[in-house]
Amino acid sequence: MSAPRTQPAGLTKWAVTLPPTLFLLAFFLVPALIVVVAGFRETGEFGGLAPWPQVSLDAWRFLLGDVIYLEVFARSFLVAALTTLICIVLAYPLAWLIARSPKQRRDVLVLLVILPFASNFLVRIYAWIMLLGPANLLYTPLAVIVGMVYAHLPFMVLPLYTNLEKHDPALLEAAQDLGANAWTRFWRVTFPLSLPGIFSGSALVFIPVLGMFAAPELLGGTGDILIGNLIKEQFLDNRDWPLGSALAIMLTACVLALAGLSAWAAKRGMHGTEAIT
Amino acid sequence: MKSPSAQRRLLAFGVPAVLLLANLPASAADTLYLYNWNNYISEDTVRRFEAHCGCRLNQDYYSDNEEMLAKLEAGAVGYDLLVPTGNAVESLIRRQALRELDKSKLPNLRNVKREFLDAWFDPGNRHSVPYATSVTLIGYNVGKIQELGLPTDTWALIFEPKYLEKLKGRVTVLNSQRELMAAAMKYLGHSVQEHDPARWDEAKRLILRAKPYWAAFSNSTYIKDLAIGTVWVAHGYSNDMFRAQQDAAAAQRPFSIGFATPKEGAVLAVDSLVLHKSGRRPDLAHRFIDFMLAGENAADVSNLIGAGNPNAAATPYILPEIAANPGIFPPPAELKRLEMLRDFDPKLRRTLSRMWTEIKVR
Repeated sequence: MSAPRTQPAGLTKWAVTLPPTLFLLAFFLVPALIVVVAGFRETGEFGGLAPWPQVSLDAWRFLLGDVIYLEVFARSFLVAALTTLICIVLAYPLAWLIARSPKQRRDVLVLLVILPFASNFLVRIYAWIMLLGPANLLYTPLAVIVGMVYAHLPFMVLPLYTNLEKHDPALLEAAQDLGANAWTRFWRVTFPLSLPGIFSGSALVFIPVLGMFAAPELLGGTGDILIGNLIKEQFLDNRDWPLGSALAIMLTACVLALAGLSAWAAKRGMHGTEAIT
Repeated sequence: MKSPSAQRRLLAFGVPAVLLLANLPASAADTLYLYNWNNYISEDTVRRFEAHCGCRLNQDYYSDNEEMLAKLEAGAVGYDLLVPTGNAVESLIRRQALRELDKSKLPNLRNVKREFLDAWFDPGNRHSVPYATSVTLIGYNVGKIQELGLPTDTWALIFEPKYLEKLKGRVTVLNSQRELMAAAMKYLGHSVQEHDPARWDEAKRLILRAKPYWAAFSNSTYIKDLAIGTVWVAHGYSNDMFRAQQDAAAAQRPFSIGFATPKEGAVLAVDSLVLHKSGRRPDLAHRFIDFMLAGENAADVSNLIGAGNPNAAATPYILPEIAANPGIFPPPAELKRLEMLRDFDPKLRRTLSRMWTEIKVR
């Protein structure tokens, strides 16, 4: 009886997963491969790529033979790390508050967190131009960080909230009964349990910040160039697809390495929490 | 069994597809497709043309030559007309993407000023008709500049520390490698078409020396910053300065915005109307070009956005205060000092891009 029932289920599974798989193949994998190929070609006379058949390591030699590009990478990672850290500090109390508020109010509060997405990103950045301008903070590195944190905060709040909401209040009561004070209860119970939320939130903030070019362009001063700006410039202003592709590949490689690292760390974090529960 | 989620997913796929189909033009008959800069033709002119030719004018917009070239390169078809700047015209001609003009259908071509015909990017105007011009120059807060006793007719204003000391944090320059480095080259007395990397290196050092005094690299926000008074001096395009001037006046600010072409020379941009090969209605496209070459229609682009006008017949229709502005209409003597940007070979492009990154990082 069970065999004929599982077969249609398998078919349904295919029917459901095939379109998104095809979509990702066509619009993620193929463009990614084009970028990889472009990174090993030469620039055409009027932009684009030189005609086939021709491969070249020129872009890579140019990129790796020069510390200046590494400097931009280092700076971008610093900005992304700082943004992520500030997001954690700001989002944690907020997510905790939402998770601990009465059930019927939580949905409204979550809605308020994502409400800013209802307006266009550039409009919100322009709002910051209006706010920071009179305070003489516009066109500074601080303005870039403010814009980045503002734009990415919800991505930290939501996974944290999802995580914190699931915590069993009985755990904290038990800790209290065992004589733990408020700080110890947070540090030894809540915080370790919330690590998976922090990790997924951090990935959702850190990675997009690395590629962001609009915020530094609009809010930043004369020295605030990030890797996203550099890549955008190669494609849109300088018509140097190979160098732009090489930069993009390097960024993707860094991000993948980091994602792997954080997945590994999250796994370890889970093991840690298992030990506590 | 079809699960509800599968249905929903199909719906999510189907709905956008239907919307996409609905977006296609119902009929391509008698519709002219124009791929144009933002805000380059007034609604009024569009309506007059539609009445004149008994057809529809459909516009798509771009804000950057590279954006337009990239979209065409990626295979966009169906545009009858484009409005590229000089170097983009050259690039399109070299890629054989343009249709040759039939000048027998353009009697108004005689209205174009001689100095704008036969340009390097299209000798003999076989493919292009000049439509509007702009100059990359210096815009400034008139009150502040007078108060500080600074000159406005030289690039020294944005490059020399002795002037910049009084302007620290109140200056923006274009976030464009070609434009900013061209301004520095002009100040140093070199051509913007220089091929010697050593000369460009000189320009880079000049920029690095001035950079600590600048507030930001800005391609668009300077319009607002000038108009509200937070920035006093900006390197930018004449039509943008015109807009900042209008905005400041409309908001009744206690100061006014002026702009002037530095005496060392500057970059001139000439935007031309060209026919794309993929266009289906070259007949309508020719009628449009000829219509836009008539004085009263050509004047629009100057009156509306403060662009310079290569059309002699337009002069009587242009508002006197705009026609008299040397920042918008460079006098003949000044025109000789202006240079257009041309594309470099890939190697020099990469060298300059490397310098630009260094300028940004240091």
